Amino acid sequence: MADLKKFLVRRLITFIPTLIGATFLVFLVAVVVPADPARLWAGGEKADPRVVELLRKEYHLDEPIWVQYYYFMVNLITNRMVSPVTHENVWSTILERLPVTLQLALFSFTLVVAVGVPLGIIAALKRDTIVDYLIRAFAAIGMSMPIFWFAYILIFVFYTNLGWTTLAGNPTPAKTITGLPILDAILLGDWRTVCQIVERFWLPSLVLAWPSIGFVARLVRNSFLDAMSADFVEYIIARGLPKTTLYKHVLRNALVPVVTVLGLIFGGLLAGAPITETIFALPGIGMLMIQSIQNYDYLTLIGGVFFIGLIYLTINLVVDILYAIIDPRIRY
Amino acid sequence: MTGRDPIIVVRDLHVYFYTHAGIVRAVDGISFTVYRGETFCLVGETGCGKSVTAKALARIVPPPGKIVKGEIIFYPEPGKPIDVTKLGEKELERIRGRLIAYVFQDPSAALDPLYTVGYQLAETVKHHGIVKSFKEGFQLAAKLFRKVLMPDADERVKAYPHELSGGMKQRSVIAISLSTEPKLLIADEPTTALDVTVQAQVMDVLKRLKEEKNLTLILITHNMGLVAEMCDRVAVMYAGKIVEEAPVDELFKQPLHPYTKMLLQAVPDPSRRVERLESIPGSVPNPLNLPPGCRFHPRCPHALKRCREEEPPEVYVSPSHRVVCWLYAGGRRG
Ligand SMILES: Nc1ncnc2c1ncn2[C@@H]1O[C@H](COP(=O)(O)OP(=O)(O)OP(=O)(O)O)[C@@H](O)[C@H]1O
Ligand SMILES: [Mg+2]
Repeated sequence: MADLKKFLVRRLITFIPTLIGATFLVFLVAVVVPADPARLWAGGEKADPRVVELLRKEYHLDEPIWVQYYYFMVNLITNRMVSPVTHENVWSTILERLPVTLQLALFSFTLVVAVGVPLGIIAALKRDTIVDYLIRAFAAIGMSMPIFWFAYILIFVFYTNLGWTTLAGNPTPAKTITGLPILDAILLGDWRTVCQIVERFWLPSLVLAWPSIGFVARLVRNSFLDAMSADFVEYIIARGLPKTTLYKHVLRNALVPVVTVLGLIFGGLLAGAPITETIFALPGIGMLMIQSIQNYDYLTLIGGVFFIGLIYLTINLVVDILYAIIDPRIRY
Repeated sequence: MTGRDPIIVVRDLHVYFYTHAGIVRAVDGISFTVYRGETFCLVGETGCGKSVTAKALARIVPPPGKIVKGEIIFYPEPGKPIDVTKLGEKELERIRGRLIAYVFQDPSAALDPLYTVGYQLAETVKHHGIVKSFKEGFQLAAKLFRKVLMPDADERVKAYPHELSGGMKQRSVIAISLSTEPKLLIADEPTTALDVTVQAQVMDVLKRLKEEKNLTLILITHNMGLVAEMCDRVAVMYAGKIVEEAPVDELFKQPLHPYTKMLLQAVPDPSRRVERLESIPGSVPNPLNLPPGCRFHPRCPHALKRCREEEPPEVYVSPSHRVVCWLYAGGRRG
């Protein structure tokens, strides 16, 4: 456990430079674009010069990049950063959008695990049969299918023709407990809202999960086969242990690489899905970032980047800890 | 040698691998008998089919390998034969581990890296009904680890394989394999993967436990020194066939088959302090494409015309010494 503490401290120390690096890069890109942000924010051509001047002062736009960046970060972390475009606190905007993104990520992740992992295991058990070939083909197609095209086909089938999904609104139960609508609805026993949420989210989640399902299926298949061909399998059979014991050992060994990838996939899903959220009009963090880019609201954009970086690093940390729990060979 | 009470009788065993490249005739018609209580050795160069033969005995040959022909009669008790080739999967599970146990070459690979060695012993004895719970299994593990002279046995039970040295891993494998009190132990090059210094210690443990538990041991090895030290009878394999079988003293004193002679020459004689290893010229034939006639003829210094064309006969030069070679076909003695 002392090892774990040291490990956490070490990881926290690398956290900060990583976050600074990521946000600074985006900041740099935003700032070098030859535009006058203060004028844009103040209303473009007809902007009141006094307001422009005020904005320049407020956001230190006349000072060197790193000074701008410094003030920006300090304001962001102390929660005093207000977007000049939306006039809202950046953190509040992000946190407001979080439930949608989190919900989408949870649904997608459930699909990835519930479909990808079993498909991979079936493919491995039925290796080199028609079932295996079909699953592998499905995985390859899933991974290479462009999401926007695929999404519109599905919308056409399930919304336009079948009406099995809704494409607008963001259903929430009457009361908030945790802030996550689906969880609150379940806690309140509000099954109507649960149904509405599922109806609204299943299709975008499927679209978002699709490439990862194929990827995970392929990974699980290969690592399962690797584990099956390990020498300890032969020794388990030689000891006369039953199939259930054999598969228990094989599965746990096969899961070691899968857990890492699943963790990264979850991080990726949480990091927002700009395309999916935009197509399905889901007001999540991905959509927020697209809107910020369109409005030249780079302060909100970088707030988003900072938030995503934070999530990504945290999930990485959790994955590393999980990894050490499954695999005793891993040392902190 | 103990009585003439056979524990396993193999007759005309054929094990083929059906690969994309063709049929690999890894074991191609071998017969031998192992008697209760003895140590029987299988020797031969790499790839000659020793491991496949060993795995066939409890039917653990991996696919695409198949026993295509032959009988394996196993006598768990004297006079109670079981034909292993005719058993179903459930009956095999009862024989494996419980009656016929294995120790493989590489203990690092044989153990699951994600479970403690004690757990792997406990799950084995629990499954075979030797103990009732995992807790008792762990207690038994500690006891057996002391038996294989594992240092700090009580602590090592809780160790993961990667926390143990090669020798300690092989000791735990031996403890696991013997935990079910099998009748027949098949040790496939049990010390090859270990440091020279630990090899002797591990072999000592095996030898002592064999005596103590009145086990029958089938030992597969490249090491002629080990053969001389451990074995009662030896079978020499070449390209999927047994070419000679004899009691160990006789084989060393009077090897008949040219291949056996070469094998023995290839070993530095410890009494003469020869440093040079006379390796055998040529190499084992490709099992996909075996030469006609005697499989050894391309490398044999005494090859006759007939060796290239006809399979050699099995000649018993004495009731316990047989050789498969044209040189002895006329009842002539080497
Ligand atoms: N899974 C497999 N698929 C195809 N061929 C195999 C397989 N396992 C073994 N063989 C073939 O069977 C033959 C005998 O192999 P085996 O492992 O019994 O040799 P061995 O005598 O034990 O050699 P070594 O001393 O190296 O352990 C080899 O030619 C090998 O190519
Ligand atoms: Mg072998």
